[in-house]
Order: sequence, then C-alpha cells, then structure tokens
Amino acid sequence: MVLREKYKELVDLARQNNLLISESGNVLKVEGTVPNADVKDRMWDIYKQIDPHFKSNDLVLNIKTAVRDGGKVRVVTQESRLNIRKGPGTDQPVVGKADKGDVITLISKANDQWWLVRDNDGEEGYCYSQYLEPVQ
Amino acid sequence: MKALRLLFVVTLILAFGVGVTSCNQVNDADIQSAAQELLDANPELAGVTVTVQNKVATLTGTVSDDSAKSYAESVVAGVKNVTSVVNQVEVIPPAPDYSALDASINAALPDALKDHATVTATVQDGVITLNGEIKERDLQVLMEKLNALNPVRVENYLTVKK
Repeated sequence: MVLREKYKELVDLARQNNLLISESGNVLKVEGTVPNADVKDRMWDIYKQIDPHFKSNDLVLNIKTAVRDGGKVRVVTQESRLNIRKGPGTDQPVVGKADKGDVITLISKANDQWWLVRDNDGEEGYCYSQYLEPVQ
Repeated sequence: MKALRLLFVVTLILAFGVGVTSCNQVNDADIQSAAQELLDANPELAGVTVTVQNKVATLTGTVSDDSAKSYAESVVAGVKNVTSVVNQVEVIPPAPDYSALDASINAALPDALKDHATVTATVQDGVITLNGEIKERDLQVLMEKLNALNPVRVENYLTVKK
C-alpha cells in the first residue's frame, strides 16, 4: 500500500489503461499492453521523476505497446542505426540497417524481444523490439 | 472368611481397574498407528504426525496448502474409535520455483546488454542484479529492456555517469 501511494500517479494511469497492478515482497509490478507509445513513455517519465536513477528497486514496469502484424513501427535508437539481423538474436549476422526515425513495417513478432520487420528497401530481418515504437 | 472375600473384591477391582487403564492405553496406541499409517499413505501429508490420547487425535507438522490441512483432518476423523481431531497442522507454502523465469531472463540478457558493455547483470530467483557503470542517458533504455523481461525485481547498483 505504501508503494501504491509512492507511485500513485503511475498507478492511476495504469488503472485507466486496465493494466495489471500487483504487489509482492516490497515490489510493485505494473504490467500489460497500452494502446500507444505515448502512454508507455508517460509512465516511464513518471517513474523517472519519482526515482531519477531507478535505484529504489521496488517497481517493475513491464509495459508493451499494442501493435498488429503489418503495422508501422518507428526506429527509436538514440543516435546509431538499428541493426536488422538474419535471425532473432545479437549472435545473428546483420543483414541491414535502419536509420533513427525511419518508419518500417512489422511483419510479425518472433517473441517479446525480437520482431521481424521489412525496411523501406524491402530488406527483411529481425530487430530488437525495444528500439521500435508502434506508429498509430 | 469376610476378610478374605473383601480382599478378593479389592483384588478384583484393582485388577479390573489396571486392566481398563492398560486396555485404554493399548487402544490409543492402536488408533494412533492406524491413523499414522493412513496419513503416511498420502505423499502430500508426509509432514503430518498424529498423536492419540483418550481417543482424541492431535495433528501436528506442516503441509503446503489449506486443502492438505483439512484433508489430513478428514483422513484421521475417519479412523475407527477417533472421537475428535485437534488440527494443529501448519500451512507453509512451498518456495516458488523461479528456474524457468531465470532461464528465460538469462537467455534474453545478452541481447538486452549488447549496447551496454560497461554493465554486468546476474539473475537469481527472478531478480536481475546490475553492477558496473552507465551513462545517465542510456539508463532508461536499459531499464526498459530489463523490465520487459518480466523480472521479479531489478537491483540497480550501477554507477550513473553524466
């Protein structure tokens, strides 16, 4: 209950989006899928305001953004280009690169971490999903 | 003659009394072993011990959930000659098994850490422990990746650099 008070703003936003909120062993867990990247970004902004260096070790924020196969995703690397790989894993050879800000096509999700995409040159391969943000 | 008869009666009473008492003890012991045997036949009741005194069975020990506790009581209540059951069994849930979660996090960690060469991470019981250093602007990216692996907790001991 103390944690729900500490992260009240986050909990309220999570409730509005029907996310799963649970508490166990002094850790508050918020998980689920939100309709767009804005909501996810807002949640992380709130988290960062409360705990700028993510050091209190009492929150797990496992938020995914809804995206359907065939939808568009934007490359959100910090500055480097995003590797497109032959298979789902960093041990796989790089078959192409996507620029920051590029909007490419999601073909399917291999798993939560690796998504199969097609870039604007028609090259297909796998990218790490944390660097892809669904475009509405 | 009268004295002899009295002695006889006294002896009889004593013998009968002792007999009744010892018979009672044998009964309790028999009930107890019958009840224990039934409990031992159920693997989930392996931690339960029964003692019987004056036909009242007392259950002690531990089980993993409430249903096992009440099941132990019903098993012993059904034993012949048991008049009542005192259920002092403690419910201690088993420690959760995190091996599958640890394996899935460990499998995904190299990819998540690929762009963060100065960070090391270990996993135990679903808890990701971070050591090393990181630039402040990379921290949230890393935390988003790690939180997406659905850990129980992230222990962040990273030195955050400007």
